[in-house]
Amino acid sequence: MNYEEQTKITRAVIKSAVLMLEFGAESILIEQTAQRLGRALGVDSVEISLIPSAIVLTTLKDSQSVTTTRRSHHKPINMSIVYDVQKMTIDAEKNPNLTADYITTTLKNIEPNYYNRWLVVFMVGLSCASFGYLRGIDFNGFFVTFIAASIAMIIRQELAKKKFVLILTFGITAFCATAIAHLASYFNISSTSNIVLSASVLLLVPGFPFINSMLDATKGYLSMAWGRWMQASLLTLATSIGIIIAMSVFNIKGW
Amino acid sequence: MIDTLENIFLHAIFAAIPAVGFAMLFNVPKSALKYCAMGGAIVYTCREFFITLHLTIELSTFLASVIIGIIALYWSKKNLVPRPIYTVASIIPMIPGTYAFTAMISLVDMNSHGVSIELIAIFIDNGLKSVSIIGAISFGLALPSLYFMRYKRPII
Repeated sequence: MNYEEQTKITRAVIKSAVLMLEFGAESILIEQTAQRLGRALGVDSVEISLIPSAIVLTTLKDSQSVTTTRRSHHKPINMSIVYDVQKMTIDAEKNPNLTADYITTTLKNIEPNYYNRWLVVFMVGLSCASFGYLRGIDFNGFFVTFIAASIAMIIRQELAKKKFVLILTFGITAFCATAIAHLASYFNISSTSNIVLSASVLLLVPGFPFINSMLDATKGYLSMAWGRWMQASLLTLATSIGIIIAMSVFNIKGW
Repeated sequence: MIDTLENIFLHAIFAAIPAVGFAMLFNVPKSALKYCAMGGAIVYTCREFFITLHLTIELSTFLASVIIGIIALYWSKKNLVPRPIYTVASIIPMIPGTYAFTAMISLVDMNSHGVSIELIAIFIDNGLKSVSIIGAISFGLALPSLYFMRYKRPII
């Protein structure tokens, strides 16, 4: 294998690893996928070094090694891209005559599977209302939570479309959700207004980073775990500050 | 008896809805949605069951996550889908979001209104609860795959 060929393979492998890191796969999955893809394309081994904002990757073949680094930018979680990359890796393992060029074009053509916008709004609103139901909300409160969470989701999508930083998006969305949920106690609609307040911001819980962080920590990727933990804590803090600003502006009591 | 059965069924359905809603937020593939719904219902029902056996909430959460971790292992081998796609959406109904927000809010309150014993108690109570529940969830999810890590080979 000559140097150009190995460089091509390295590029294809790191591209798939960066996609998985950016869209929220756990570290062990990134490492295993990179190693399997590398072996399927014909190098001896792939060594990978992960930090939350970048990947360094080396492929080894006989006595020749190629190393490259890519910066990763944080993007909203998208599991269908992770799924597509994983599926492509399994295909490459089953099909030994696939080339690096084929992998690169496949990666370029991966389409994120976006659900219909209004369906997501409806389902997320209903989800937050269900959280409220599980904690004993009354019927009017259920309805107000649904409205508040749905409007918050629309705001979140709009801010995400304008490519705001995630922290700002979460803070502003939490502010709006709390302000709307406040209507329940303001007009005396619901007797369980504290549950309405807390359930309508639950769409902003950074569950994925928290879980990924702990999974990474248990599997031995400690620096990744700290990075993700920090990111999840920051998002929680941003949400809380949004809630607090809304509480002091509208003089809301009883969180 | 019929009343409690109906209650369990209703709770399972209302736990499946958030699992699907958040699965859509994470953009899981369409074929995985029904598994996420099932996972959410299973997880919540299991946890309720363990809580009625007078186990603590952390232990019940841990056992429920172990169960969904094992089930998701089977699903992911069958459908060749990475496990987090099923597991993370399924455990969403158990995420201690309110605890985490309450802890953070009390922290900011301490800064603006001065530190008091009640605020410290609220912060430590809620902070500990949220961290221990998150720890229980993720250790429960990781346990089945840690078992397979001995062989140093990928699950799917």
